[in-house]
Amino acid sequence: MKRMLAGLLSLAMVLSLSAPAFAETTLEKINRTGVLTIGTRTGSPPFAFVNKQNEWVGFSIDLVEQAIAPAISKKLGKPVKVEKKESTPATRIPLLASNAVDLIAGTMTDTRPRRESVDFTLTFFVTGAQFLVKKGSPIKGIQNIAGKRIAAQQGSTNERIIRERVPTAQLRVFPDQPGAFQALAQGQVDAYTNDGVQLAGLIAKAPNPADWHIVGDFYSYEPYGMAMRKNESDFRNLANNGLMEAIESGKYFELYDKWFGPKGEVPYPLTTENKRFMELQVVPK
Amino acid sequence: MKNSTAIEFRQVNKWFGKLHVLRDFSLKIDPGEVVVVCGPSGSGKSTLIRCVNRLEPIQSGEIIVLGESITQPGVNLSSLRARVGIVFQSFNLFPHMTALENIMLAPVKVRGLTRDEAEKTARALLERVGIPEKANNYPANLSGGQQQRVAIARALAMQPAIMLFDEPTSALDPEMINEVLDVMTDLAKEGMTMIVITHEMGFAKRVARRIVFMDEGQVIEEGGPDSFFDAPKFDRTRQFLSKILSH
Amino acid sequence: MRGRWRGVKYDFDWSVLWSGESGGWLLQGILTTLEISALAWLLAVALGILSGAMRTVPFAPLRAIATFYVEFFRNVPILVWMFFWYFGVPPLLPHAIRDWLFNHGAEFWAGMFALGVYHGARMSEVIRSGIQSIPKTQFEASMAMGLTVWQAYWLVIVPVALRLIVPPATNESLNLLKNSSVALTISVAELTFQTRQIETYTAKAIEALTAGTLIYLVLCVSIAIIMARIERRFAIPGLIARVGAG
Repeated sequence: MKRMLAGLLSLAMVLSLSAPAFAETTLEKINRTGVLTIGTRTGSPPFAFVNKQNEWVGFSIDLVEQAIAPAISKKLGKPVKVEKKESTPATRIPLLASNAVDLIAGTMTDTRPRRESVDFTLTFFVTGAQFLVKKGSPIKGIQNIAGKRIAAQQGSTNERIIRERVPTAQLRVFPDQPGAFQALAQGQVDAYTNDGVQLAGLIAKAPNPADWHIVGDFYSYEPYGMAMRKNESDFRNLANNGLMEAIESGKYFELYDKWFGPKGEVPYPLTTENKRFMELQVVPK
Repeated sequence: MKNSTAIEFRQVNKWFGKLHVLRDFSLKIDPGEVVVVCGPSGSGKSTLIRCVNRLEPIQSGEIIVLGESITQPGVNLSSLRARVGIVFQSFNLFPHMTALENIMLAPVKVRGLTRDEAEKTARALLERVGIPEKANNYPANLSGGQQQRVAIARALAMQPAIMLFDEPTSALDPEMINEVLDVMTDLAKEGMTMIVITHEMGFAKRVARRIVFMDEGQVIEEGGPDSFFDAPKFDRTRQFLSKILSH
Repeated sequence: MRGRWRGVKYDFDWSVLWSGESGGWLLQGILTTLEISALAWLLAVALGILSGAMRTVPFAPLRAIATFYVEFFRNVPILVWMFFWYFGVPPLLPHAIRDWLFNHGAEFWAGMFALGVYHGARMSEVIRSGIQSIPKTQFEASMAMGLTVWQAYWLVIVPVALRLIVPPATNESLNLLKNSSVALTISVAELTFQTRQIETYTAKAIEALTAGTLIYLVLCVSIAIIMARIERRFAIPGLIARVGAG
């Protein structure tokens, strides 16, 4: 309900914003206000979440604050403050379109249809869809979910793949993680599918992590990017430069370790393959 | 012997909370008798007749209706109420039913008549109260006098042995009062046992066999119309009469 | 169909609403919304009439039961009731029934009960106020004719009350329809769910939200028109005006 309301409000905002005649680029806006406003999540550890100390933190937020904002600040020659607003899969694009936020920094997968509405930065995280099951479940991956009840999160791309590849699976699509997880815990569904890293995040927070297993090979490719309004190449280049510099300098891997290392919020080791992929995204100076 | 008395009140006491509405009230009414009850407002007259069909319970004493004590537990209220019709000051017709349907409702639902039988009776009753052409009108489209006549027909449809009238004309415009009183007069002539609460003293003079003047839950004075109006024994009666007759 | 507002960088593409699977999804969403709302409405009306009438009868235990129902259910948010019926109730059922339900639209039935029972409590208040606006003398007149309490309610009080409450009941019915969108939290694929689905697949959030908004608007206005017709059709000549004036 809250989300729907937020969606409708942003819609209203968009409509009311159709009047002003000024057309300011994102960079001009940041230069004028000294603020970079990001739309992010409150419940997607470790990318963006509210921690026990009631601070809004996470890997995506760190990347913005420690890689992207400094790059913009350097270019504009003045400090840039990062402000955070909550965005959800349903509201993030309207929030961008209405200028309410300048950058979506959460867990948004870069896809081709999405690129028709928004532009993306470099990929800052790679994961893929897997299944979360109770220990001892017969489900070992996408190959044996036919006829099973599978929970998915709305707004995720993996739900679409299941629809296409295993049409006999009974999909139950939930708007958020807690509902889907509850349904799995109580047996309403046999498995919950989402990006592997999200499932790892869930287990890390679950009361009995040992009761749960993440199973199956990645059956989808989920490259996370940060979204912005279309056709803003100045802003996009700055954001990308910030990310590339962070990868080059090792800052990115430091942050990765902070959140996904053995002592991090959600242990999710960086594979050699993914490390190489991140490095290859960096173009020469 | 059983039916020598239609209604008998024996030492009836009734309280509303701390308010003592009926005080050791006793009265006997014969079959076929028409009794007019009058008295100032708050004297308990309305309560009195509402006790006759148990719309109000009493706290002590006994009321015997048609030879049966109705203040005992286990009285069959439906059959009591079928034998005792009541007409209210505010008509109380059911607004979502036509005149005909209002009259047919209880005969069908309580007495178990078929709709055809009930309709035949209902039409005859509307004829009797003088408005057969209003059968399909809703109450809101009837004048006050017409509504009250339908209400009388509705009570009569149960073929009651006793009819109670609680100020049947006091909510009516003056020009409509007589049409209702005429119906009541006819009813009295046919030998119906009636208790009528009214301040229509002309009606009382013409129709009543007895007039009961009540105050503070007791009978102050009673008598035939001639003695009651011409030679009231008590001051309170005289004062009351002078007030209502001067209107 | 492409447009561009000044000040807003967004390319509109309204064709996403009918191209691909979108049209089918929207239709499915409308059907599910109507289906769950209609069933929940019937339940709400039945519970509302029963408990609303019970709250006015001259018998204290019945009044207490009805009051408990109303206060308990209407004072907890609908979202909580969705979770209650979906997550809270199944564990109370035998294993076989539970499993069967999970395979046969448990979320739909849970959502239906949540909506119906919640709005039944709210409908109850509407009906109670309708009954209480009927003069007490109507009840007395019914009793004086020899009707039982049940008959007096069924034949006189409730039919009149129902006519009086058409406007507030319409309002409540529209609330029910709109609240059916909360069922998406327990994975019921109703209209709001489907508009989000379109957003997921096409990334055209504004078009999808607009479509959803317009469809709700059309549904609600249609219901309001139908209820207004019912009101006129069953109006008792003079009654509404009389009660309104009183």
